Formats: sequence, structure tokens, C-alpha cells
Amino acid sequence: MEKKERGTALLAVKGFFAVIAGFFADFGRAVSEGDAFVKLSLLWMGAGYFKRKQYIKALLMTILEAAAIIFTVKFAMSYVPKFGTLGTVQMEKVFNMKTMKSEFNDYDNSFTILLFSLFSFVVWFAFLIVWMRNVIHVYELQKMAEKGKHIPTFLEDLRAYKEEKFHITLLTLPVLGIAIFTFIPILLLILVAFTNYDQNHMPPNSLFTWVGFDNFMSLFGGGGLTVTFGYAFIRVLGWTLVWAFFATITTYIGGILLSLLLNSKNTRMPKLWRTLFIVTIAVPQFVSLLLVRNFFSNGGIVNTICSNIGLTGFLRDIGLVSTSYIPFLSAPGWAHVMIILINIWIGVPYQMLIATGVLMNLPSDQLESARVDGASKFQIFRKITMPYLLFVTGPALVTDFVKNINNFNVIYLLTENVYTTTNQAMANSQAKEVDLLVTWLFRLTQDYYNYKMASAIGIVVFVICAVFTLIAFNRMIKGDREGTYQ
Amino acid sequence: MKVTKKVIAAAITTAMVIAPAAGVQAEEETISLTVWGAEEDQTLLKELTDKFQEAFPDQKFDIQIGVESESTAKDTILTDVEAAADVYSFASDQLTDLVNAGALMNLEEVGEALSVAGRSLDDVKNDNVEASVEAASVDGSLYAFPRAGDNGYFLYYDSSVLTEEDVASWDSLLAAAEKAGKKVGMTFASGWYNASFFYGAGFTTGLNEDGTTAIDWNGTSPDGYTGVQVVQSMLNIAANPAFMAIADGDISNQLATGELCACVSGTWDAITAQGVYGDGYAATKLPTYTIGDEQVQQGSVAGYKFVGVNGFSENAGWATVLADFITSEESQQEFFNQRESGPTNKNIIDSEEVKANIAIAALAEQSAYSSVQMVGGKYWDPAQTLGELIAQGSVSADDEAAIQETLDTLVEGVTAPVE
Repeated sequence: MEKKERGTALLAVKGFFAVIAGFFADFGRAVSEGDAFVKLSLLWMGAGYFKRKQYIKALLMTILEAAAIIFTVKFAMSYVPKFGTLGTVQMEKVFNMKTMKSEFNDYDNSFTILLFSLFSFVVWFAFLIVWMRNVIHVYELQKMAEKGKHIPTFLEDLRAYKEEKFHITLLTLPVLGIAIFTFIPILLLILVAFTNYDQNHMPPNSLFTWVGFDNFMSLFGGGGLTVTFGYAFIRVLGWTLVWAFFATITTYIGGILLSLLLNSKNTRMPKLWRTLFIVTIAVPQFVSLLLVRNFFSNGGIVNTICSNIGLTGFLRDIGLVSTSYIPFLSAPGWAHVMIILINIWIGVPYQMLIATGVLMNLPSDQLESARVDGASKFQIFRKITMPYLLFVTGPALVTDFVKNINNFNVIYLLTENVYTTTNQAMANSQAKEVDLLVTWLFRLTQDYYNYKMASAIGIVVFVICAVFTLIAFNRMIKGDREGTYQ
Repeated sequence: MKVTKKVIAAAITTAMVIAPAAGVQAEEETISLTVWGAEEDQTLLKELTDKFQEAFPDQKFDIQIGVESESTAKDTILTDVEAAADVYSFASDQLTDLVNAGALMNLEEVGEALSVAGRSLDDVKNDNVEASVEAASVDGSLYAFPRAGDNGYFLYYDSSVLTEEDVASWDSLLAAAEKAGKKVGMTFASGWYNASFFYGAGFTTGLNEDGTTAIDWNGTSPDGYTGVQVVQSMLNIAANPAFMAIADGDISNQLATGELCACVSGTWDAITAQGVYGDGYAATKLPTYTIGDEQVQQGSVAGYKFVGVNGFSENAGWATVLADFITSEESQQEFFNQRESGPTNKNIIDSEEVKANIAIAALAEQSAYSSVQMVGGKYWDPAQTLGELIAQGSVSADDEAAIQETLDTLVEGVTAPVE
């Protein structure tokens, strides 16, 4: 069975490359075996259609080609040639007293150059595919004509997009959306990690440029930055993984136990209890988290109660705290545990909902037969309920883990302005013990404009998440796990 | 040939004579300006810009007013400098970053535009207190117009609990507070507050050419005190049972609980303090603190609110004239009347009504010991951590070597290159 799965993964990769190879082969054949008009299509994209009397298509293709040329000359050429240096003309201005206006030179903006060059590359790439596809298509038309087949008219072509090619019509917009709103920003982020875009190189006032792998070198302690940056990175990464593990496991188990409790026949008014727990979801997280943060702050209500009932004094006597308050959210260790506990409170209702849904669909025949065979409740839970739950919610568990790696809300809202690190090495790199990679990244960009390091960290986070997801999914979602579970 | 040359010369001369007139004609076009200010100042800004338009009836303006808090101005503006307002208010600690990003016009370059209003840059420098002009300057060039000088801190106290002698020094202050069963609060975990002890002992911070911060706290100050001694004094204050270390931004909450008989804060807490202390409401300069057997006056950071002109503003000339108008003596008087904003204008500071305002008067008293805090972005986190270490008593006052090491680490972090 294992072999087969590895086979599917490999097959997918192989299939992907086979499609690309096939595409190029088709293109090559079309160019070499096509007639004069097919070859002319390399220059004038409408040529092939023109020859087959598909005049509207010929016109559309010609317009598209013209648009691509105009785009290239009018737009792309003012950015792409500067892509190698990301601009060389520094902003300069003089004040003209007569007009009371500032006069600027035609300065370069590194960021615009980077963004619009990237945009041009994407457009060119898309155009290249259309151009090659076009040649292949007119070659197909040529073959159809040679065989004496009917050449579809424009209306017939259009109709095809409503029928057999409907999937293309449907997917055009989403694909465009993904390209513009997801693909380009991600590529941009990756590119920024290889530049020196930071506080000292902020466009439009100054230029930034390529620096190769310098940022990754300094992230992993290769010098350049403060010596503590690599140290802080390892510490933050460690806590990120610990947090993601505990946050996922605790809410998962908590949610299952809670839903078992609510599903139990002995529980009265399960609907009322369920509603009460869901109320925590209904209140926006930032409201409840900020409130909880204030409750547990050094001068907050919980501390006042604790000191009134003598708990603070007791903890001080046994040496657990050295301050006049209990540092729930302001000392390492304390804060780490508190954050995970508070997260249970916030996260359990979600897991409870999921688990409830799954439990309701538990195959009752199996439960029945187990009961008939005299299995104890715990045995049923261990042998039937839990494996079934794990099987159904396994993939969700993986996504939860990845989500928790990037769980910005809980960490940021609970510790911002409350937690002050006493680790000077961390402070020197603007990090705190309770920071996740994302919150550190947020502070580096928001407060210190250190975009290059933030991008580098972003890439590392992405790689960690991607590798984990791939491994976990490959292990968990095995083709017919249902068989093994039964 | 000669004739043609003469004609050309004549033409050029005429052109030169006409040119200024042509310039006046060009002013016919409407000048669009955007102004950003704090939400609570919007009505006042509208009044002031209306007055500004009345003052220049020959010129058409289209002035838009937007909301942008002084404390967050930098973040918004640096997101897209080219799209930001032409004239905007900001807190003085953002000056360096804004200048580095080209978001502030060097006023020396546009200063002559003020002649339209019959003023000059020297007038601005003479009208406002020297420290505020110094704080608004980088390398001797003025980059912003000082508008308010109330962004500093001093001591609020309850005069029904503490006497004027009590608040003179930290020792007597803490002793009196302990006797009354009350506490004295101050924020230690903030580089803005805790620098006051170091500045008081003669230590400094500064900015280097490359944007890095210069700091000498791990050495000996010109006054002859060592950084270790200052930290020891702070540790002694923090260890006193009557002292309460308060998290940054939490002072008004703690003040409201009524547990504090005195606290270090600024004018933004004036109303809270007045409410809590009632008839006992009083404010004064910061106390002195003890190093060895000497009393050292605690310093402070002088914070200002500035109005600056965007470096990427096209209508830089008129924007400069408007910024000067918003910060003029009349406007600052309006800001004081309507918003209780502490002025930087010398004439208003000397007026009786300003002196009658307890908080602003205390700030003025403290200003003799305050200094402008010139630091880069790398300063804040390490300085905050130092304050937290002291507040928690994580280092022992007797362990001089450990304190020295802490200060060395601080200096290492603060002076790190900017990236």
C-alpha cells in the first residue's frame, strides 16, 4: 500500500512535467510542420485564423498582440530595464519661489520598479503561453482543413465555451484573481527577501537594491546584523513550535471531551450548555482577549483578588514569584502557560462543534455490536470513538497546527504592551520570549520598517508550514485509511 | 545683427520684468492642500484654515482636513509618503524617522516662502522656546514648526497627603507615602521615562550620521557619576515598598484606583489626577534622587508636538505658509484656550493664564531639567528591558559587575547598526 501512495505523489509530479513537455512538443511540431500561415502566426497572431476565414478571431488575436506590444513599450519598458539595479536616479528637488512649488527630478522608485517589473513578467509569461497555444491551435485548424472537416465559426466557438469548454469560462475569473491577489504578492515578498529594503532604504526617498542571500545569512547567525538576531530567531522558532503543538493538542482533546460530555445521555439540557460555550465564539476575539489581558495584567483584577486572599504572599513565600504581583502575562514561563490556558478557553468551543458533528455520525451499528459484546465505555471510546474521530478530523488537525504557527491574534493581543522581556539579548533584536515568528515579523515591519528581514522570516515560516503539511498529509490521508480503521 | 541682438536683449529684459507678474497670474490656480491633525483638534483646525484663507484673499485654496493622531502619524505617512498630507502634526519622537524617509521638508529650503506672510524662518526660531526649536532641527536645519510643548512628564501629587518638602526628593516622597499607606507610581519599563534618571546624572543619547544611536550610559558622565550608580539608585527606589512600577500606558488606570498619592505622568492625565486628588490636586517638577550621599535632580524628556510639511508636497511653498500659520502665536493661544495645549511660544508661556494652569506650570518648571531625546529605533526595546529588569529587581544593587554587564549589553543593543 505504501508503494502505491508514493507512486501517486510521483505520478502527479511526472504528469505535471509530461504536460509541459507535451505542450512544447506540440508547439515544435506546429512550427515545423505547419504551412506558411501557421509560421506567419509566429509574427502575426491572426494569420492562421485569417487563412481559415475566422476573421473575428483573427481580429481579436491581432488586437491582443497589439495590446501586448503597447503594454511592453508604454508600460513595461519604463520599469523592466531597471529591474537589474532597481533604479539609479536618487530623488532630488528644488523649491521654486516664483511658483511656490517644489520641482522634482524624474526619480526612480525601487519599490514601483520591483512591483511593476514583476507584473510585466507575469503578463509576458501569460502572453507567451497564449502565443504558443495560438500557433498550436492554428496548426490544428490546418489539419482540420486538410482533412476537409468543418471549421467552426466564431459563434460556434463561443457556444463551446458555454458547453464542453464551460470549465474554462467558469475558472477564468478565479484564476485571474489568484494571479493578481495571491501569486504576485507572494512573488513580491520572495523578491524583497533578496534586497536591502529597510529603514535606511525606503522608497521614494532612497533606493534599495539586490543583496543576494545576505538576509538569510544574517538570519541564521552569519553576522552582518546584531549577533543576537540568530539567537532570537532560534528562540522564537522554538516557542512557535511548542506553542503550535500544545495549542493544537489541548484544544483538540478539550473539544472532544467537552462534546462527549454534552453528548452523554446523563447531561441535562445539552443545548443550553452548547449555546453557552458558543457564546465565546460570538464575541469578537479581540474584545475578549483584550479584556482577559487586562484581567491578568500586573495591576489587574485577578492580581488584586490573589493578593487579597493571600495567594500572592504564599507564592512569594515559596519562591515562585519575586514581585509584589503575580506576573501572569509578564514573565516567561508564567506567560507561556497562561497563553496556552487562555487559548484553550478560546479554542475549545470550535473543536467542540466539529467533534459534536462527527460524534453524531458515529456508526451506531458498531457501537451496538460492541455493547452487545460487553465492551466497557472506556473500551468503546478507545477502540471505536477515538479512531473514528482521528480518522475524520485528522486533516483538520494538520491545518490547525499550521494555523497555530501563524496564530497572530491570541499572542499579539494578550502580550502587546503587557509583556516586557527581561532577556537583553532578545530585546536587542526587538524580540520577546512570547513572540511567534508572525508577531515578531509584524513588529519588525510595523515598528522598524525592516521589510527585508520580515520577508526572509516569512519565507522560512512558509517553508516550515509547507514541509510539515506535506509530511503530515502524506502520512494521514492515505487513500483507503477507512479500511485500516475498520 | 546688432539690432537683432538688441531686440533679443530687450525681449529678455521685458520677459524678466513680466515674469513676476506672470507668477502672480499663475497663482490664480487653486492650491490644493491636505492637513492632518488629531481627531480632537479637527474643529479648531477648520477654524484656523478658514482664517488662513481669509488672510490670503488673492489666492484660491482647496484645503482638506483629515484625522491622523499625532502619535501614529509616522506609521501612516511612511506607508505611502507620496500620498500623505501636505501639512501634518506629529509627536517629536518621530522626527528622525520622518526626516530619514524624506517625509519632512527641510524648512531652510522653503523658508523664503514665508515672506508671502511677511515672516521669515528666523521669526519662527525666535518666537518659540529654544529647546523646541532644537528638538525640531536635525544638523542645524529646522524641519518642523513647534506647536505644543506639553508632551513631557512631571510629578502629580496629592497635597492633602504630601507636603512640598516631601515631594522634593524620592527619599522623602517614598517615606511620606509609606507612612500614609499609599504608593508612588512611575513607569520604569519605557525608554522614554527611565532615561530621566540618566539624563539627570549628565548622561546623554544622540544620533550619529548613519542613523545609529550614540549612548554613554555604561561609562561615567561628565558630572562624574557612573551608569552603575544610577542603576543602583533606581534599584533602591524600585525596592522601596511604597514604590509601584507601572506598565507603560497604565498610569491613568492606576491613578484612578486611588492607591497612588503621587505619580510621574504628563498633561494627558491632568483630568484624571484632578478627579482623584480633588482639592489636593497639585503638580510640580520631578524630585531629586540619591547617588551616594548626593542629591541629583531627576531629568526628563522634553516632548513636543510639531507641524511639518511633507517633503513630497508639490505645493511646498503654500504648505509651509499654512504650517507656520497653524503654529503662530495666535493659533497657539487658540490651542491653549480650546484644547488646554501647552504652548511653545515664548509670549504665551509667560502669560498669567498659562502660569495658572497647574499641570502646564509644573511642566514649565521641569523644563529647566529636561532634554531633547535624540535616539534611533534601536533604542526602545533594550531600554524598556533595562527598566523592567530594574523594576523587577532582577539584578542586585550590590552586584556592580552584573549591573555593568547589563549596561554594556544595553549599549551594545542600542548602538547596533540600523538595518
